[in-house]
Amino acid sequence: MAAGVASARDRRRWSRAPAGGAARDVGNDDGEEQHLNPFLDAAPSASSRVQFRNMASRARCVEETGAAEVVESRDKLWLTTGVTRAGKLYYNVEEIGFLAEIGALVLLSDKDETIGIEAIYEKLAGGNYGCSWDTFQAYKHLKSLGYIVGRFGVPWTMKHSGTCDTIAPQMNILETDQSLNKVDRASNDITKLLKKMQIDGISPSFEVYLPNSKFKKSSPGSPSFLLCLLRVKPPSRVELEAVENNFRGIPLKYCHVDNGRVSFLSFDEVTLPSLS
Amino acid sequence: MDLPGPRWKKGKDGKDFAALAAANPMSTIVAELQAKLRDSEAVATLAVHTRDAILEVGKDQAKLLNCASFGRAVGSAGAERQWFQLGPEEVFFLCHALKCVAVESENEARMGAPELWDLLASTSEQFPEMYRAYEHLRLKNWVVKSGLQYGAHFVAYRHHPALVHSEFAVIVVPEGKAFGTTCGCMQVWSELLCALRASGSVAKTLLVLTISTKSSELGSMDCLEQMIVHERTITRWIPQQCREQQDKSCREVSSNEDQEHTSRGVVFSYWGVVLSFTVLSSLLVYKLKF
Repeated sequence: MAAGVASARDRRRWSRAPAGGAARDVGNDDGEEQHLNPFLDAAPSASSRVQFRNMASRARCVEETGAAEVVESRDKLWLTTGVTRAGKLYYNVEEIGFLAEIGALVLLSDKDETIGIEAIYEKLAGGNYGCSWDTFQAYKHLKSLGYIVGRFGVPWTMKHSGTCDTIAPQMNILETDQSLNKVDRASNDITKLLKKMQIDGISPSFEVYLPNSKFKKSSPGSPSFLLCLLRVKPPSRVELEAVENNFRGIPLKYCHVDNGRVSFLSFDEVTLPSLS
Repeated sequence: MDLPGPRWKKGKDGKDFAALAAANPMSTIVAELQAKLRDSEAVATLAVHTRDAILEVGKDQAKLLNCASFGRAVGSAGAERQWFQLGPEEVFFLCHALKCVAVESENEARMGAPELWDLLASTSEQFPEMYRAYEHLRLKNWVVKSGLQYGAHFVAYRHHPALVHSEFAVIVVPEGKAFGTTCGCMQVWSELLCALRASGSVAKTLLVLTISTKSSELGSMDCLEQMIVHERTITRWIPQQCREQQDKSCREVSSNEDQEHTSRGVVFSYWGVVLSFTVLSSLLVYKLKF
């Protein structure tokens, strides 16, 4: 672990946080999760429905990017969500999905007509804007727990105070324009570059920071860990070493999504002490 | 062998849900769901990269999907339209077995069942046998959900998971050359005993569904009819506990019999093993701490 990545207190806090479903299984003799009973008549009451309409922020779609420019911000979520370019705040598709689901965001078309959640789900299902359905599940899971989650390789802002501690320093060279289109294209280039560097396809999807009320986009510091999404098979030793080599010093966590259930795993290389 | 009985959960009045389940047989719920989805010409959209599908339905169908325990609701409840996320076996079952949901790929191209089969089988080697096992249990009106968090392929419930604890952790074992490299799981003692321990730690009986086939290859959906499902449980008999009792629960329970084919030493259910070991080791840590 790189020095200064996380304090010992932070590390202890992590180890107490439940990992996937394992903590819930423990101590309960059947390990069953709680299920809502659909046979009881109680329909969800109107008050339980998320109704933040009056307090929702509004964002307008930026054509063909899957992102949206925030035109009216009604909350403090923007402090830890979205990227800033040329003084404007943009949310990407997974951020839009998360915020829309909790009723904190109304999405508008470029003609200012409201776009319903079905269109947002379609974009996520289509996977064309840098985030697929399962990646969205992982994003949502961490965001709802308060973690600060940014798309890997995309800077929070182009303005930096103090030292720039980005993971992909190439970003600064490639970016000359401040429009979001170019940023996304640049981040696609970065992704392609990174994929070439690796033997197999494991690459980070997100950079994750612990919940932090003092988080500043202009100097986020190093992320607590990078999150890699795993799909069909668990990773092989070779795949793990390849991705670890590319991101020396930054903790990596992996997640697997099974029908909406997200499991987070660490695959740590260790050296057992030789005992006397 | 006599199967264990159901463990019904209890309602707020302290009575168990057996009566509620008896009053709402799963076969009736599924038939109603099938009719309602057909009438509304429901269409599920496949998500790329993952093998899940998303289905948008109205309130009535949402209630029936919940009662029959298909999929997981996505987003906030209570709105007029509700979205569900379906796993690959679920979407194929609704599309092919119940014929009540049409399926589209993300670019809105309609897919028939054979095409959907080819797609799902191409993204997962194990899909043919997993689906056959899922279908086998669902057609008997058991509720089947993913068992990955318990280190199994599926878990099977006698009715809705809110009403009853699941009795079985299900492992699917394909048999025969047709299944290619996925054949031969549960051939190593550590895996078998791991599965047994994992299922026991969550109070479930280990049910092994062996899938045999006369086909020599599994190219298309037609191979489904050729696949035969055999049911067997693996349970541990504890001699120390049974010496004094004469009742049925202590009658010797069949262990996995020696029908071993030549071992291919292939790890079964990669994620099942990883997750079950994680669960077991967390259990151990928990017990050591407290």
